[in-house]
Amino acid sequence: MRISEQAKLDSRARILEKAAELFIGKGFEDTTTRDIALAAGLAAGTMFNYFPSKETLAMTMVTEALGQGMEDFRRRRTGEEELTEELFLFIASGLRRLRQLRPFLGPVLERSLSPFPRKSVCHEGEAARLGHLAVVQEIIGRHGFTAAPDYVAMTIYWSLYLGILAFWTNDESPNQEESRGLIDYSLRCFVQVISGTIAERGAAHAN
Amino acid sequence: MQTENGSESPALQMKMLLEALPKESATDPTGIRLARLINRISRQKVPVSSFSRFWILGSLQAKVTLGYFAYWLRSRFVDADEKGRLKSEAHLAAALQLFGTMGYLRGAVMKVGQLLANLPEVVPEEFAEVLSALHFEAPPMHYALVREVFLDEFGREPEEVFASFDRQAFAAASLGQVHRARLHSGEEVAVKIQYPGIARTIKADLRNLRVLLQPLCLTRDWQNTLDKLADLEQMLLMETDYEQEARFGKDARLFFTVDDRVVVPRVYDDYSTKRVLTTEYLRGCHLDEFLAGNPSQKERDQFTTLLIVATFRLYYRLHWFLADPHPGNFIFMEDGRLGMIDFGCTRVMTDEEWLLISELERATLERDEASFKRVTAKACLFNDPEEMEPERLEILLRGVHWNMEPWLKDGLFDFGDREFFMRGIDSLMEMTRKRYTRGSPLYLWSNRFIFGGRAICYRMKGRCEVKNISTRESAWHDADYV
Repeated sequence: MRISEQAKLDSRARILEKAAELFIGKGFEDTTTRDIALAAGLAAGTMFNYFPSKETLAMTMVTEALGQGMEDFRRRRTGEEELTEELFLFIASGLRRLRQLRPFLGPVLERSLSPFPRKSVCHEGEAARLGHLAVVQEIIGRHGFTAAPDYVAMTIYWSLYLGILAFWTNDESPNQEESRGLIDYSLRCFVQVISGTIAERGAAHAN
Repeated sequence: MQTENGSESPALQMKMLLEALPKESATDPTGIRLARLINRISRQKVPVSSFSRFWILGSLQAKVTLGYFAYWLRSRFVDADEKGRLKSEAHLAAALQLFGTMGYLRGAVMKVGQLLANLPEVVPEEFAEVLSALHFEAPPMHYALVREVFLDEFGREPEEVFASFDRQAFAAASLGQVHRARLHSGEEVAVKIQYPGIARTIKADLRNLRVLLQPLCLTRDWQNTLDKLADLEQMLLMETDYEQEARFGKDARLFFTVDDRVVVPRVYDDYSTKRVLTTEYLRGCHLDEFLAGNPSQKERDQFTTLLIVATFRLYYRLHWFLADPHPGNFIFMEDGRLGMIDFGCTRVMTDEEWLLISELERATLERDEASFKRVTAKACLFNDPEEMEPERLEILLRGVHWNMEPWLKDGLFDFGDREFFMRGIDSLMEMTRKRYTRGSPLYLWSNRFIFGGRAICYRMKGRCEVKNISTRESAWHDADYV
C-alpha cells in the first residue's frame, strides 16, 4: 500500500517536531537517531527514508527557520534602508526565527557550515550558505553596485556571518542584545570593504 | 569653547589646549607636559566597537576632559607612598589608554566631569557651556536595530505599536535615543529607546576603572573612593532601568498643578518597558534656542523661577536631587511653561542624609556657625570639625557657604552674577586640587545638581526670589510631613 503524500508530510513534520524537543531536552550530541525514531513512533529504518542523518535533520530545521526569516525580511523591508541597515534587517530576521533552536545550534552549525574542507559536505548546509549569499548579492545589487562582489568580498562576508552565528549561539545577554552590536559593527566593516572607502575616515581616532 | 576643532591648525589646537588645561605649579607650570601627553594619547588608536564610540578623543572638549582626568589621577598619586605611586608618565599614559577603551564611562566621566576630572580653568561663560556638554551622545542606532528592540520588548514592530513612528531619532538621550511617534488615540509622544548591551558596558567600565585606580589603594581615602564608585555604578545602572525612570516621572508629576506652570510629561505604561520609555511629547525648545531668541529679562527671570521651583519642590517634598540637570532635560515651552523631561539620574536621599542636609539649611538660616561647622565636618566623614586640618575646614566651609548663599538673600537673587558663579567654581577647584574631596557619595550628586543647575541659570542670566521659594516649598514639609 502506498503511503499518501499527506501521511509522508505528517511523518516528516512529526520527526522534526520530536527531534527538536529531544535536541533541546537532551542536547544534540546526546540524542540518537534511535531516540528520535522512537519518539516519532517510527522504525529507525523508516526514519532514514526521511532524513539520512541527525545532522541533516537538524540542518533541515535550520534551513526552514532561515527560510521563514528570509520571508520575514522581504515582508519587513521598506526600501528605505541603507545598505548596512538592510543587511542588518536580513540577518536579524533570520536569527529571530532561529532563536527557538538556539539551545542546540552550536554543534549543528559547526558540523554543517564549517568552512574547512571536509570528507562529506553537508548538502543542506551548503544550500543554506548559497541561499544566504544570494540574498546578500541581491541586497548589494539594490544599493548601486552594478557588478557582483568577488570571492574575496564574499568570503569576508561569510566569515563575518559565521563569526556572528558562533557568538550569537553562545550569547547569554538578554535577547542576545550583545550580538546586535557585533552584527552592526561587522556589517559596517563589510560595507566599508566593498565600498572601498572608509566612511568615517577614522573620525573616531581623528588627530 | 568649541567642541569640534577639525579645521584649526595643530599649533592653534595646542594653544587652545594649553589655555584650557590645568597647570601644576611645581612640576608643570605651563601645562605643556600634560598637553603633549594628551595630544599623544588622543592620537593613539584604540579599537572600539560601534556602541562604545561614544566619545571622540580628537575634539578639544574631549582632550580637555582627558587632561583633567590625567591631572586628577596624577594628583591622587602624590599622596601615595613610594611603593604605591605611579612611577612615571608612562604609567599615567597606560592608565589613560585604558580609559580610552572604556565604552560608556568616557561619556560618564564627562557627565560627572566636574568631580571626577576636576574643573576646567576657563572663564565662567565657557565653563557653563562645558557643563552643558557634560552629557555624551552615542552614534545613532539605525532603524532596523530599533525594530529589533521593539520586537523583543513588545513582540510587534514600532508601526504596529504606534499609529505613526518617526524612523529618525530627533534627540540623543543618555543611554539611548528618542523618536517621535503618535498613539492610536492621537497623542503625540516621545519614545526613548535604549542602546543594546549598555548595562554590561557600564559594569565592564567600572571594573576597568577600579583597576585603573588600583595604585591608589594605599592612600588614606581609598575606601571613600571605592564607596563613591559603588554609588556611581548603582546610579548608572539605575539609569538603564527605564521602568524605574517611569516611576520617578510619575511620582514627580503628582507634585505639580496647572498653576505651577511646570510640566512633567505623562508616562504611557502600555508603551513602556525596561528598555523603551514612552512619554508625552512637549513642544518647545532647549536652552540654546531659547537664548538665541534674545529673551527679555522678564522671560529669563520667569524661566529661572520655574526651574528653581521645580527642582526645590522635588528636593523638599521627595528628597530628590535631579543629578543630571543639563539643559537638554528642560524644555522652554512656547506658552512660557517649563518642561522637565528626564528622571533617569535621580538620587533619592536616605532619611539620614536628609536630616543632615536639613540641619545644614537650618544652621545657615539661623546663622548658627557652630552647627554649620559640625554638619560640614560630618558630611566630610569627620566626627568633629576639630579633627579636620584647619585649611581643609576653611576651604570646605567656603564651598558649603557658597552652596547656601542664595538661601540668605532677600528679594531677587541674580544667578547671572559672574562673580558669584566664579567663586563657586574656584572653591570647588581648590577643594579638588588640595584633594579635600573625601565625603559621603551623596555629594557627588548634590554637587552635580547645584553646579549643573546654576550653570543653566547663569547662562540664562536669570534672577529669582530663591529665599521666598525655599521658604514656601519647605513650609509644606514642616506642616505636612511627620
